[in-house]
Amino acid sequence: MKIGRLPALVRTTTFRLALLHASIFILFSASLLAYLYYETAGHLGRQAEAELNAEFGELSAAYRGGGLDRLKQAVTERREARGKFFYLLQDGSGQKIEGDFDVLPAPAPLGQVVNVEFAYDARTIQGQPSRRSAEGRISRLSEGGVLMVAYDVGDLGEMNRRITEVVWRSAAVGFVLSLIGGVVISRSAAQRAEQLAKTTEGVMGGDLTRRAPVFGSGDEFDRLSEQLNAMLAKLERLVISSRSAGDSIAHDLRSPLTRLRNRLEAGLRDTDKDGPRAALVRSIDDVDSVLDTFNAVLRLSRVQAGATGSFRRTNVTGITDELAELYQPVCEEKRLAFNYAPQGELFVLADRDLIAQAMSNLMDNAVKYTPEGGAIRLDARRSADGDVELVVVDSGPGIPVEDRERAVERFVRLEQSRSQPGSGLGLSLASAVAEAHTGKLVLGDGGGPPTRPGLSVTLRLPAA
Amino acid sequence: MRVIVIEDDADAAAFVKGVLSEAGHAVDVCGDGESGLNKARTGEYDALVVDRMLPGMDGLKLLKSYRDAGGRAPALFLSALGEVDHRVEGLQAGGDDYLVKPYAPSELVARVEALGRRATGDIPTTKLSVGGLEMDLLARTVHRDGQKIDLQPREFRLLEFLMRHAGQVVTRTMLLEKVWDYHFDPQTNVIDVHVSRLRGKIDKDFERPLLHTVRGAGYRLEA
Repeated sequence: MKIGRLPALVRTTTFRLALLHASIFILFSASLLAYLYYETAGHLGRQAEAELNAEFGELSAAYRGGGLDRLKQAVTERREARGKFFYLLQDGSGQKIEGDFDVLPAPAPLGQVVNVEFAYDARTIQGQPSRRSAEGRISRLSEGGVLMVAYDVGDLGEMNRRITEVVWRSAAVGFVLSLIGGVVISRSAAQRAEQLAKTTEGVMGGDLTRRAPVFGSGDEFDRLSEQLNAMLAKLERLVISSRSAGDSIAHDLRSPLTRLRNRLEAGLRDTDKDGPRAALVRSIDDVDSVLDTFNAVLRLSRVQAGATGSFRRTNVTGITDELAELYQPVCEEKRLAFNYAPQGELFVLADRDLIAQAMSNLMDNAVKYTPEGGAIRLDARRSADGDVELVVVDSGPGIPVEDRERAVERFVRLEQSRSQPGSGLGLSLASAVAEAHTGKLVLGDGGGPPTRPGLSVTLRLPAA
Repeated sequence: MRVIVIEDDADAAAFVKGVLSEAGHAVDVCGDGESGLNKARTGEYDALVVDRMLPGMDGLKLLKSYRDAGGRAPALFLSALGEVDHRVEGLQAGGDDYLVKPYAPSELVARVEALGRRATGDIPTTKLSVGGLEMDLLARTVHRDGQKIDLQPREFRLLEFLMRHAGQVVTRTMLLEKVWDYHFDPQTNVIDVHVSRLRGKIDKDFERPLLHTVRGAGYRLEA
């Protein structure tokens, strides 16, 4: 017989759990039953034994006090009292002196004393003959002769037998039940594991909407399922965003490319109103916008890949000072009130160019989306928990709370901004820059009236 | 100007040659690092245009050898690698400017011409002058036809750059890089606004404008 590998059934967790469960249950019920037996049948036996000892003690006392005559008298008295004991007193030659039996129902002891079990014939109350069993003790007397005291164990024996039988039956039933219980319990655990496996299998098969069932019991499986589901939700969001990024690139590139094609064709046919040269000049603008998009994508990828090599302790107020100076004229030209009031030096570990680029994107957006006569505020400050915050607040249309998370995703351009020029990567890049600096980009309300709440974008960086 | 273009990609080399020739420069093309270095060493050239990635000897090494051998002609790196670190590497190797592919032809011409100017204008100057516009670099003052013009510090640096490259086309990207030290392009027309402000200060009260917009390319300060 080969014992190399266990059969498939034995190897399953279900089977092992069931077996473990059964073993534990059996051990428990065995000790329970043992205790039960000891306390019931065992107790009865011990009680009878104690009474027998007491009886013998009294008779021995009578014999020591008055010899055989006293003993005979005592036995006679006891027989008349009709207790639970039977007696037989014999003389040295084996003749009966007094007692319930004519002869010893069991062989006389070779030594001083012996415990015996025997059967005897009796009659029931109704007069039916019945064979009953008895237990007792036979003791030799010092002057010759023997004394036997015995008691009927008919009832006791029956009880004993019953208890023993009950114990064994319950043990058998318990074993079967515990096996079944073990299988059921471990099957339910295995089923949960199986459900999780099925979910991951489905996800691997490409169905990212699959979720593991949660039963609300809050057990380990529920927790595992919840975490798996959270992970899947995140994964799904990422996949969808990169999928929609692909769509958006295609969408954003299709219009300039189509325009380019039409223009080149018009130039070729000489139907362009300003002549072929003008068609070419405008075509170059279209190609430039396509290249801009690609450059933006590449830049974003590089930032996301992380380039911490050029990080230095930098005073970001210096960066915002420059940006304020760079953008102030643009704001004035668009008749936007521009406010900038930094709070002294703020140091972070940063790449100056990346931070400047991110903030410049935010300023670009603010200028683009704030209508004439509005206001833009640039802030560099320390937050309550010690972080450094670079904030751009505008009085434009703002971004609804529900769209804010999506707005920083690659290429997402909210409906109202589709008509504006730009690659749709401004906020994504700012967010990627924030993450590259172990910071965060936070979008909030600009604090304006409900019709035009404005937008505040905060680049939060850990202080250095 | 006589320019040597060291670029292994034949199409790209032909493009650079075409663009620079059209702008009136004499251009020689070399396809690999070794022969490019040898040609550059002849000292016949006013400027070098070097691709960073070359077979045999890469652009950085080439320029280092050239400088170590005493070559003084200014050099412009062309590269698809646009990270700040790469730029810094290029400049440390002895490059004078760094242009990231893809680039507009006008950008290339402007940069190469700016290089030529730098090479000839090595003597430290304290005064710049373009057609009645005078800048005193020590006193930090600007006058036009004797009339004092007040400029913000950044406007001063902007005008200084334009005056140093007077007669040449200067692109918006060049201004961002050289005046603001930014290596990215803002989406909005920030540079245009700054230039038009400067124009308002130096040209407003005068009949003849000095600061011109070159369509599709950038700006030119010219008497």
